[in-house]
Amino acid sequence: MTDAARATRSSTIGALPRALGRIRPRPRWLELKLLALVAVALAVGSLSLEATVNGVLALHDPQSLAIYVVALFGAHLAQVVSGRRTDQVLLPTVAFLGGISLLLMQRLPQDLVSQTFFGTTFGLAQVQLIWLLLALGLATTLGIVVRSDSWLRRYKYTWAAAGVGLLLLTFVFGTEINGQRLTLQLGPFSGQPTELLKVILVVFLAGYLSENRTLLMEQDTRLGPLRMPPLAYLAPMVAMWAIALGIVVVQRDLGAALLFFGVFLALLYVATGRLSLVIIGFVLFLLGSALMAMLFDHIRTRVDIWIDPFADPLGAGYQIVQALHAFARGGLLGVGLGAGLPEIAGRPPIPEVHTDFPLAALGEELGIVGVVAILGLYLVVVERGLRIGAAAADDFRSLLAIGLALVIGIQAFIIAAGDLKVLPLTGVTLPFISYGGSSLLANALVIGLLLALSDKGVEAPPAPRVGARWRRIGRRATA
Amino acid sequence: MDGFLLVVWAVRLLFLALIYLFLYRVVRALLHDLRAAAREPADRPGRLVVLESPSGEPAAGHSFGLDVITPLGRDVNNAIVIDDPFASAEHAILTFRGRSWYLEDLGSTNGSYINGRRVDGVAPMGFGDELQIGQVRMRLERALG
Repeated sequence: MTDAARATRSSTIGALPRALGRIRPRPRWLELKLLALVAVALAVGSLSLEATVNGVLALHDPQSLAIYVVALFGAHLAQVVSGRRTDQVLLPTVAFLGGISLLLMQRLPQDLVSQTFFGTTFGLAQVQLIWLLLALGLATTLGIVVRSDSWLRRYKYTWAAAGVGLLLLTFVFGTEINGQRLTLQLGPFSGQPTELLKVILVVFLAGYLSENRTLLMEQDTRLGPLRMPPLAYLAPMVAMWAIALGIVVVQRDLGAALLFFGVFLALLYVATGRLSLVIIGFVLFLLGSALMAMLFDHIRTRVDIWIDPFADPLGAGYQIVQALHAFARGGLLGVGLGAGLPEIAGRPPIPEVHTDFPLAALGEELGIVGVVAILGLYLVVVERGLRIGAAAADDFRSLLAIGLALVIGIQAFIIAAGDLKVLPLTGVTLPFISYGGSSLLANALVIGLLLALSDKGVEAPPAPRVGARWRRIGRRATA
Repeated sequence: MDGFLLVVWAVRLLFLALIYLFLYRVVRALLHDLRAAAREPADRPGRLVVLESPSGEPAAGHSFGLDVITPLGRDVNNAIVIDDPFASAEHAILTFRGRSWYLEDLGSTNGSYINGRRVDGVAPMGFGDELQIGQVRMRLERALG
């Protein structure tokens, strides 16, 4: 062995314990306690379901529940072993929402969804369980592995281009379901790219706004009574507006447009602290929507249904009328898990109950008390995101964490408001509760990134790009 | 059978109660966290981390807690002394106004640079931005709460 080889060998041996030594298990008592509470609550929920459905005081489908709870503690253990100082509240909160989703899917007719893997056919609850486990794995892995954000920060325009590309692919090759062109089929896999797009949007906006925040805060141009930043910096805002309306026109996806624009305005406000920008954006959106409603039939129909669903209670307004009845039947404490949704000819009265209306089903079975608690869980996720953002070292991380949390919060608000006839109904999913792989995985991505961002011991943010010219001048001066 | 119905009722309400117990525990943890953050207030509105400093004064890696008004320069009376041949005696001044940092160049000979762009008079500065005075490179960061 040559000296050089021996030197490298000894240095790698020296480096190995150092790398391992840095990984020191760190207990996460709060997370453990909260997860234990989640497990107990889900077991009680399962008891309640079985007692109502079959009249026996036993667990409903104990196998699925056991798999889910074991996976939760597995995720907890993995984080303990990794020794990172990440947030301890996010995972139990999201796990609770996922558990409620599992109980709801077990309770709905299993043949709403059937998928065959390797010759075995799985029903609604089993498919949802598989997605939940994958989502849990994704969030935990990201929370453990991601230590640097430069891969997001450096390539924000690349990410934005990829997002727009994904959108165009859906425009062209997407399959149309219920008059909405949302699903992209890729061989045996199909997914809804807008779910991934919302994460890409936040990454791009955080990058763009953190770089141009100071410029946007300067007040140069006057437009009547409003003071505006230099107009060139508003170009991306106008582009965002165009993209949001483009989604409405081509994809007929009102929900995604509303979500994207809502997140955009919220981040713009967080970055600049200027209400005038938000008001201008909001007015633009309202004008655009009004124009759309005049030009396109399907949007006008949505608005008409929203204003008076009882005009056509068996046709266009059927879903929303049934949902309102479900909420009404639920009352204060609900009718109990498994006792709601009287089926009509073996079908639940709300056609898309597992994707668009899970809140109506929960509202009936858990009552307003349960619905308020579930909305409270979303509020906890948003609060954690805002706290992580407030403690972040620089603007990019701050905006990223706040944007990610707001994506979940605004999405939950849009669909909850749609179910309750506060807003026109739009087809976004209820995060972590609705059935669907794309939605669960995209939201898991959000939680994973939030976990990674919450670690205070993470490496320092990379230096901003310094003009190459000054670097050269600086070097010459040194020489 | 009535007894069983009662049990079903109890289990139903117990499930709802457990959701609220979870929320209560979480909110208590969050309040604890917020109080801890409030107890050690970020009395410094920011900090300046030295990234590169050929002369060793200030030392690379050192982190300065910033006051609302922080003068920088080669003169020893500055809050942050930059002992660099290309820095002026009274080089620049960092001020925190409203919710943002601003850098004012005090007519220095070699100028101040934010992210490689020369500052003309006063320029706003965001967290994560890089400031160069002479050959010393520093990054503005949020003070850790």
